[in-house]
Amino acid sequence: MILLGEFALWVALPVSIWGIVLAFVGGHRKRGDLVLSAERSVYAVFFLLCLTSLGIILAFVGEHYEYRYVWGYSSRELETYFKVTGLWAGQRGSLVFWVLLLALFSSIAVFQNRRRNREFMPSVVGVLLTITAFFLGVLLFADVNPFERLPFPMPNGQGLNPQLQNYWMTIHPPTLYLGFTSFSVPFAFGVAALITGKTDSRWLVVTRRWTLLSWFFLTNGIIFGMRWAYEELGWGGYWFWDPVENASLLPWLTATAFLHSVMIQEHRGMLKMWNLSLVSLTFLLTIFATFLTRSGLIESVHSFAQNTRIAYIFLAFLGAATMACLLLILWRKDDLRAERTIESFLSRESAFLMNNLILLGSAFAVLWGTLFPLISEGVAGTKVAVGPAFFNRVNIPIGLVLLALTGIGPVIAWRKATRRNLERNFVSPLLMAAAVVAGLMIAGMRGFYALATFAICGFVLTILVNEFWKGTRARARIEGEGLGRAFLHLIARNRRRWGGYIVHVGIVLMFAGFAGASFHTETDQSVEPGDQIRAASPYGHEYVLTYQGLSSSRTPNMWQWVALLDVSRDGRRLGTITAEQRIYSTADQPIREVGIRSTPLEDVYVILAGVEDFEGAVLNESSAQGAVFQVLVRPLVGWLWYGGLVITLGSLIALWPGAGGPARRKVQATPASARLAKV
Amino acid sequence: MILLGAVLVAAAVVLYVVQPVFSGEKAPLVSLDEEFTEAEARRHLSLVALRDVEYDFATGKIDERDYRRLRDELAREALDALHEVRRSREQTESAPTAQDTLADDLEQEIAAYRAALRAGTMCDRCGSPNPAEALFCAACGIRLESERGEEAAPAAQG
Ligand code: HEM
Ligand SMILES: [Zn+2]
Repeated sequence: MILLGEFALWVALPVSIWGIVLAFVGGHRKRGDLVLSAERSVYAVFFLLCLTSLGIILAFVGEHYEYRYVWGYSSRELETYFKVTGLWAGQRGSLVFWVLLLALFSSIAVFQNRRRNREFMPSVVGVLLTITAFFLGVLLFADVNPFERLPFPMPNGQGLNPQLQNYWMTIHPPTLYLGFTSFSVPFAFGVAALITGKTDSRWLVVTRRWTLLSWFFLTNGIIFGMRWAYEELGWGGYWFWDPVENASLLPWLTATAFLHSVMIQEHRGMLKMWNLSLVSLTFLLTIFATFLTRSGLIESVHSFAQNTRIAYIFLAFLGAATMACLLLILWRKDDLRAERTIESFLSRESAFLMNNLILLGSAFAVLWGTLFPLISEGVAGTKVAVGPAFFNRVNIPIGLVLLALTGIGPVIAWRKATRRNLERNFVSPLLMAAAVVAGLMIAGMRGFYALATFAICGFVLTILVNEFWKGTRARARIEGEGLGRAFLHLIARNRRRWGGYIVHVGIVLMFAGFAGASFHTETDQSVEPGDQIRAASPYGHEYVLTYQGLSSSRTPNMWQWVALLDVSRDGRRLGTITAEQRIYSTADQPIREVGIRSTPLEDVYVILAGVEDFEGAVLNESSAQGAVFQVLVRPLVGWLWYGGLVITLGSLIALWPGAGGPARRKVQATPASARLAKV
Repeated sequence: MILLGAVLVAAAVVLYVVQPVFSGEKAPLVSLDEEFTEAEARRHLSLVALRDVEYDFATGKIDERDYRRLRDELAREALDALHEVRRSREQTESAPTAQDTLADDLEQEIAAYRAALRAGTMCDRCGSPNPAEALFCAACGIRLESERGEEAAPAAQG
């Protein structure tokens, strides 16, 4: 079965190349039989890749340590769950997983459109299979074949990096990959629109839901990654502007821009070229992100490869794809002229435009900061690190403007806002912002960015709540419904809009969570059992942590120290918290398992930073219990996760099939009913 | 055994993929259902924008003067698009319409939208307006899941 999987990988490449040729030739010559054959290759490649993935999983579960990949990412002691997820634990397997997901989404797209949008399909199939073939080529010819055998079989594997033995880490990469790969579908439709010359809004309408789906996965992937960093890396932070994190943020930024610029084209017939450029750019960034994560070009917490051939192959593909997109867009540039121009700076379209410029500006800054160390290393020979300070300095102001627009965009009028429109909609939110600032300052808060963030959060939230309230009230009045019912119907009637606004609410919550970071406190202390650590909370509470003691234990693959502390706040006992340190036989560095006590207002985050008498502690001597703790109080961290849930809810509402909105698609209209509709 | 499996898989895949080329079985190259023409799409967009303006006015987001201005602009655009739709339809069908009834048609159409909006019978899927008592969308056939639909269903059974 494993051999069959390897064989299937080899068969998949010629099948996809066959499909590419037939799709493009068939599309060009209008040969339905060739196109059908090409479409079948999409399904066939998916089937073959299922066999391949199954083969890899069986190699893991069956403990076949003659395979280099299996040997490198598991061991006999590993739980079965982590053996199965070994498919995407390392570079080689994750490339297979990537192309498996791509083949899955390609198959869904082909099946979905077996009767619809047929003009686009030959090119769509051709483009999707080209991407597939590229990845298959990488797998087979860039020294990353997951079925490569070791010179002689090993009795046991090397084990999996313990930091990756974490729930969030097993779902974070697949979620990101789902986002990356599903974006290939809108990209393929965009290219198909260019190839066929059907550059009106239809490709946007067809792919909106795909774009949103991809965006949904990307968002969740990023949030899962933050959660993992927060719980598992043990530094108290959730975002480090690490190149790998940045790599996933880049396509998210441009995809968010794309989601909004699409609306301008749909409503106003503008920005056609821009939309095609954005969809291409986002796609290129998903490939770039995969490349950055899986080529080892940039060393970081999560990437573990060191093979340069794959880097050159990826760069060549990125270069070729960029050229192809540019040439196609230039070729069609006469068709892509705007039907209208922007009439006024104060209008919804210009708010959307600002949204786009800001998101792209931020993407550019992130890209620059990520690549600068590499470029400086290549040009000057020394690696100049670009730290979080740079990213924060650039992105915090950008983020605040974006946040404000999140509220302004939804209520400013299309075309041209009048003073009356502005007054009607912005007076009370501005008052709310002022009230927030005043309230917080009276409560003693200082710090420009934090105050500004909370003020803007108040502003946007007021606008959005107002929006929901007005809509509900109007509906209740017109329909004579109760408010609750009217509210639900309101959302159901235009899911795209209200889902989008719910996403905006989630963004506001997350920004509040980010702002909380400027008030975190840290207390480092070395203690003996019975000693107390006092940690001040920014709200004026005081936490007292009483150290109870340490216990050490040993399992076949690790040493473990568990420290127990009693927590009380302002004299009231809250419970206990444990913080651990582990030393795995397979890793040289100790791993910290932090203790977190989370409330909506703040998290208490306890790190066991060190054990004073190492040898004594190993022997569990009662005199050797001294330990060093770092106690962080982190306000509003929980809001990131709540905000994430709200975003998920909102995007699911916007995604839900049958949602209303400007997208009009006829499904099997009979001529008679179609005529009726036109009257 | 492995060899047999490999041969079987390869043979099945090749047969499945290559079969249309020999049998001549074809995938359609044009869509089976009618697509929007450019003009129809523009008319539709104007009407949807008009719906939004109605909504913004109903919720007090824009005042009467802005409402009238936007409404007139959009109505003009929709009218232009409608002209074009009629022109292209005249070429394909033999149902000529007199130019001066166009404005009336548009008024009717807008009125229909407004009524559908009030009645909650604007189709979720395709945005077409439907008469107040409609249970199914006349354009695309989907069930209109308004309160009316929910209440009417049990009534129809009993
Ligand atoms: C990080 C920031 C933002 C995120 C994550 C975000 C996300 C979203 C999402 C997912 C949707 C639903 C789109 C769809 O269903 O196709 C949406 C809708 C919308 N967004 Fe944003 N957005 C952001 C910022 C902005 C900004 C800055 C503006 C201002 C121009 C804006 C204006 C809108 C509007 C007006 C809609 C609703 C469109 C309608 O009526 O259907 N958004 N947003
Ligand atoms: Zn309909």
